[in-house]
Amino acid sequence: MYWKEIIQMKIRTMKYMVKEGFVNTYKNLLMTIASVSMVVASLLIFGIFLMVTINLSYNLNRLKAQTEIVVFLKTDIAAMEADDIELKIKSDERVSSYVRLSKEQAFAQLATTYIEDSEIIDGLTPEFLNESFRIHLNNADEISEFTEELGSMNGIEEINYPLESLNKLSAFMHWVNVGCMVILSLLLIISVSIIANTIKLTVYARRREIGIMKYIGANDWFIRGPFVIEGMIIGFAGAVLSFVLTSYLYNAVASFVNTNAAEYGINELVKMVTLRSIGGQIFLIYAIIGMVMGLIGSIISVRKYLNV
Amino acid sequence: MIEFKNVTKCYPNGAIGLDDVSFKIEKGEFVFVVGHSGSGKSTLLKLILHEETPSAGEVYVNEFAIHDMLKSEIPYLRRGLGVVFQDFRLLPNKTVYDNVAFAMQIVEAQPKDIRRQVPVALALVGLSKKARAYPNQLSGGEQQRVAVARALVNNPSILIADEPTGNLDPETSWEIMDLVEDINQRGTTIIVATHEKNIVDLMKKRVFNLESGKVTRDVLEGNYTNED
Repeated sequence: MYWKEIIQMKIRTMKYMVKEGFVNTYKNLLMTIASVSMVVASLLIFGIFLMVTINLSYNLNRLKAQTEIVVFLKTDIAAMEADDIELKIKSDERVSSYVRLSKEQAFAQLATTYIEDSEIIDGLTPEFLNESFRIHLNNADEISEFTEELGSMNGIEEINYPLESLNKLSAFMHWVNVGCMVILSLLLIISVSIIANTIKLTVYARRREIGIMKYIGANDWFIRGPFVIEGMIIGFAGAVLSFVLTSYLYNAVASFVNTNAAEYGINELVKMVTLRSIGGQIFLIYAIIGMVMGLIGSIISVRKYLNV
Repeated sequence: MIEFKNVTKCYPNGAIGLDDVSFKIEKGEFVFVVGHSGSGKSTLLKLILHEETPSAGEVYVNEFAIHDMLKSEIPYLRRGLGVVFQDFRLLPNKTVYDNVAFAMQIVEAQPKDIRRQVPVALALVGLSKKARAYPNQLSGGEQQRVAVARALVNNPSILIADEPTGNLDPETSWEIMDLVEDINQRGTTIIVATHEKNIVDLMKKRVFNLESGKVTRDVLEGNYTNED
């Protein structure tokens, strides 16, 4: 056979499988609806966890990005050495922004802080204070590496940053991710078995046909094809439905959170990711999970009847 | 061509299907397999179709070695074999034409070949006029003819019939057997498992008699029993 005929044959076979798949899905309408609902239920629960995780990590990352590194220089540092340090900070790619606070500026800050109790700073002159840099990094995970490098330079007295709380944040995010994965896997297993059971009904109704096909010499993939398509239709329909539901739910929650945050004045601290920025990815994730569940479910359900 | 060499088939429950059976069927032969239920007839047919594999010995069917082949090769083995069952096994929701065409569709034949071959197969079994009927509108004999057309449409070299006349009255049975003999005249190897004594006796073909898994008799132009 020429390659052209082989391609035509494959296209014909694909058409046959897709057509049969849709017919089966329609013939089993009631069970299809039941399986689609199960897919929707599990994707929805998964989606809620996913959204919570996305927003948690988004806000935690914002929090991390606000982490400030304060570098105090020695009081007796030479001006040239201080400039060297500034150059090093300025040229480092990891730094997103920095401020250099001279002794005078530090003193002015102190003065404003203790404006009511000015006796506390009586007798204090800028000479006693340290010059300092306040640094923000692009990625808070690089803090320890960055500070180690900086600490090896001469003329630095002390480097301060909230190490403890950063580590706690990271650990917390790690466990949120792990929990999300565990729940997702459980939901997926449940959904796969429910899809498998639905398709088993179709397979059972058509077991005579499958038997005849086996005797005539149909390939296993030819027999499996329509059922696989059926499973993927169920999975995809479930994905679309749960995406629509998730979108509504998410928008409602987002507007609720945003208005309330504004009322309490914490709208700079707590921000929800906009649906527009993640919608495409969420839909893709739903569609892939839904269709893979359908694929696995249908393969499981046909397996038994192929062993003739 | 079919060859069994010292074939034994034991089932997991301990039952013996075949017990050290050897024989050879050449291309174009017509063979009746006779024996009581449980004598090993079904086992013999199942081995040819690779529904079962032998516990010991070698089975060759066309270019395939049943005792040593990949599962993925089974469809290609079966495309060289046509099968007819006692209960016809037609698809009730398809017309006569579609039932026969289905056999070609599932082996991914070209539509133009399907349009050419299906009418030929239906003409061969004398059912051209019933192409649009559904199986439940046909008599038993007609349904079995459709099954024969379906078995033949892919031009198999061997036709296997398992009690093809078991559900038919004597007159219709003869129509089917005449049809099968016609097919044999065209060069197709025929294997018929049957209980029908008078058909075997009158047709004078090669007869295998199986008893508890052993071939007790293998004669050319034989009878159902040993009495003559």
